[in-house]
Amino acid sequence: MKGTYLGEFEEVVLLAVAILAGDAYGASITNEIEQQMGRSVNLGAVHAALHRLEEKGLLSSRLGGATAERGGRSKRFFTVTMTGTKALDNIRDIRNRMWGAIPKPA
Amino acid sequence: MNNPIQPPQWATRLLRWFCASHLVNDLEGDLLELFAQRVLTYGPREARRRYVRDVLSLIRPFAMKEKPEKYPKPAFIQPAMIRNYFKIAFRNLAKHKLFSFINVLGLSAGMTACFLIALYVHFELTYDAFNQKADRIYRVAADVKTSSETLHYAISPWAMALNMQKEFPQVDAFVRVQKDETLFRKGDLKFNEENTVLADSTLFKVFDLKLLKGDPKTALVAPLSLVLTETAARKYFGDSNPMGQALLFGDDSEPALITGIMQDPPLNSQIKGDIFVSMSTYTAHQDKNIEREWGSFGAIAFVLLKPGTDPAAMARKFPAFVQNHAGKMMAEQQMQIGLNLEPVRDIYLHSTRVVEESGSVDNVYIFSVVALFIMVCACINFVNLTTARSVERAREVGVRKAIGAAKAALARQFIAESVLMCMVAFMLSVAISAALLPLFNELAGKQISKGIIYEMQFVGIEFAAAWLIGLIAGIYPALVLSSFEPVKVLKGRFTTSIKGVMLRKGLVTVQFAISILMIIATIVVYTQLDFMRNHDLGFSKDQTLVVRAGAGRGRDAFEASIQDFAGVKSAAASSAVPGGWNPQAYSKVENSSGEMQAGNLDVYRIDYDFIRQYGLKVVAGRAFSKEFGTDSTHSLMINEAAAKVLGYVSPQDAIGKKFSQWDRQGTIIGVVKDFHFKSLQENIKPLTFRVIDFWNGNLLSVKVDGGKVKQTLSSIENQWKTMHPDRPFSYYFLDEFYDRQYRADERFEVLFLNFAALAIFISCLGLLGLASYSTVQRTKEIGVRKVMGASAASIVGLLSKDFLQLVGLAFVIAAPLAWFVMDRWLQGFAYKTDIRLWIFIAAALLSALVALATISFQSIRAALMNPVKSLRSE
Repeated sequence: MKGTYLGEFEEVVLLAVAILAGDAYGASITNEIEQQMGRSVNLGAVHAALHRLEEKGLLSSRLGGATAERGGRSKRFFTVTMTGTKALDNIRDIRNRMWGAIPKPA
Repeated sequence: MNNPIQPPQWATRLLRWFCASHLVNDLEGDLLELFAQRVLTYGPREARRRYVRDVLSLIRPFAMKEKPEKYPKPAFIQPAMIRNYFKIAFRNLAKHKLFSFINVLGLSAGMTACFLIALYVHFELTYDAFNQKADRIYRVAADVKTSSETLHYAISPWAMALNMQKEFPQVDAFVRVQKDETLFRKGDLKFNEENTVLADSTLFKVFDLKLLKGDPKTALVAPLSLVLTETAARKYFGDSNPMGQALLFGDDSEPALITGIMQDPPLNSQIKGDIFVSMSTYTAHQDKNIEREWGSFGAIAFVLLKPGTDPAAMARKFPAFVQNHAGKMMAEQQMQIGLNLEPVRDIYLHSTRVVEESGSVDNVYIFSVVALFIMVCACINFVNLTTARSVERAREVGVRKAIGAAKAALARQFIAESVLMCMVAFMLSVAISAALLPLFNELAGKQISKGIIYEMQFVGIEFAAAWLIGLIAGIYPALVLSSFEPVKVLKGRFTTSIKGVMLRKGLVTVQFAISILMIIATIVVYTQLDFMRNHDLGFSKDQTLVVRAGAGRGRDAFEASIQDFAGVKSAAASSAVPGGWNPQAYSKVENSSGEMQAGNLDVYRIDYDFIRQYGLKVVAGRAFSKEFGTDSTHSLMINEAAAKVLGYVSPQDAIGKKFSQWDRQGTIIGVVKDFHFKSLQENIKPLTFRVIDFWNGNLLSVKVDGGKVKQTLSSIENQWKTMHPDRPFSYYFLDEFYDRQYRADERFEVLFLNFAALAIFISCLGLLGLASYSTVQRTKEIGVRKVMGASAASIVGLLSKDFLQLVGLAFVIAAPLAWFVMDRWLQGFAYKTDIRLWIFIAAALLSALVALATISFQSIRAALMNPVKSLRSE
């Protein structure tokens, strides 16, 4: 297992997979990120991040669910693993702690 | 999927090309899904743009990497297998020693021939190419037209070059060179330097000859300046510095100063010599008026034109230029001089003007084609022989395949084997080439190469070629062998195809046709040479010694002193001897219609003994005689050819007619029967004889007694040494000298003999390949025939018949071709032998015999084989 450090875009992708919960595959993840963040992203970048996250063990994938829209090609569904969930929690804890540490303006 | 709006196809293809196979499916799905959505939201244009952008963004390492296989493949190259391949290859070579040897030898013979021919062709094609300014150097050559003929000289009028430089701004520089045999002395050393060259001081400006010592601008300016080549310098001065020292030059022994040392000129240079003498030695010292002479021809003139000059435009001005200077002289002498510019690099191969050295572009083409042909034949034979033996390897292939060898691995093995054979052939070829180079130089009559170590780039090319041949020649047998089906071959049944047999037969036929052509050509060349050697020349050339005795009173004294020697039959002085050079003189002779006919006639200056000693027959009038005082000034003798040119029906009619030639006027006193004073390649030309003056003509012909040539020669030499201690004794035998004219033809003969042998050898290899191939195929048939009672002889006959038919076909193709080619070759000789029938019969018998011997190698073995062996396996 590679280091568990998460890059910013990886974090976004991981969150998107978590949001889509069971219906997360390349195209839907891309759409989700575009909607949430309001900017266009490359499919290549998304897949590269998915690939890395899978290598780190934060995601797992399985094939299935071909549709006519896809020219009959199967989808690769991604789900967040336990390690992935822990990593997200961890990040949120750190963020919260840091937010809390900001001194309140008088 | 019926959506008419499609993403760009090229992007999809690109994706499929780079993307790993296990990923391509869902990635394509994602792309299509996004595309469909985006067509709805953004429109087709934007959707396509985004599609392409996504595809391009996927070009990342993760997408390209294939998923590792579940079962690991063996490494591409395994040392153990490689070792095994080599082991098998060597075992195969060793098991069939003779066969491998012949196969390799055939290939290396082809390579060697190609290598040597490549050297020769390169040598010829790069003649004069070492001059960096070669594209601007032209030879100015003169055509001289008289009332009877046009002579094409390589030389030009002495006055031409200086005037040309003055009047043509296009001329950057000119240089004249003239070869001249000169006597040089230094202390006790004395040499007749045959390769002495008179050259203008601009020699080093026009030609890229490298001066090692001395100033190239001034070295050849002053009269009596010498530039020695390194070789010549070593000859006279050893290791000491020759600069500033002197050599005694010429018959008058004038001291000449050495002003430069030059690198030996390249062998393929027109400008060649051992000692270069300043031209001013001649033009400003010996003959001060020569440069004003338009009627006097000598020296080869080269001009260096300024960059960008159009030589054709320049040549158009020549007629006016010549007319302006020499118009009056030309009108007086009834002749017309024309000048031509010839690019320096075209002279050697293309010019037909007579110079000492010239090559033949036809020969270059012929040799290139021969080389190519030999190589192609050798390669195809190599392939054939290898494939023919493939049957013996069939079991090995079967076993290898059964154990799990892939087809590609087997093909690799056989290609590697063929490369290995080629490498062996290459090494053999280099060794043979190295050994043959000196012989080859001798055969070519010039030093094409100093040795194999000077030809490393050629060896390199040959090495690369050998690799390539190995690869290409290996592909066919490799494919044939590797596609054997293991079950079939292990069961002992081969299905070798008939495909390609026609091609092989055709090839063998062509090879034999060429061999037969060569055999016929060799025999014809040989008979022609034999004919020329034994032809009655009309004079006696045996036991005649020609001494270079020099001109002057000394010659006469020497002649008188040796007359009484035992063994000396007679002696005669002359300016020329048969087979050698003789001058031409502008002559006017009264012809049968009473006019004075003008023309350039060959001249022999002879003394009173010459006609008798050379056994020339006087057919009309009388020979020169001391009893007639007027003979030395007012008499001329001619040959029959001259009498015919003048229109006299009978030689007798020419007697008493008037002539004028070179300051002599008088009458014709005798006509000599035609004799061959030039080679038999030429018709006998009109010739005139005049009595020699003591100051010219430097040859002394001495007829010696056949029994005591050696003693006589040494006593003559001793006599020379006492009379002329300062000059070397130099002589030659007339018969050798005369036959020297046929050296080129003799070379041709030897060359043909060698190529004929090579062609036969290579075509025999082809035949051997074909024979062994078809014998193996007919093994079972032969077995059955033997069981049924066929004798060994009848089987040999059966097997040989097919191939003799091929040889017969080859003969039918080759014979008319050979007749045509050799008839054309013989046209070059004025006196020639006929192409007789026996030549063709001999060639046919010889080739049939060789073919039969080759086939018997295979067929006898096949016929004697025990039929049980060949039939047992079924």
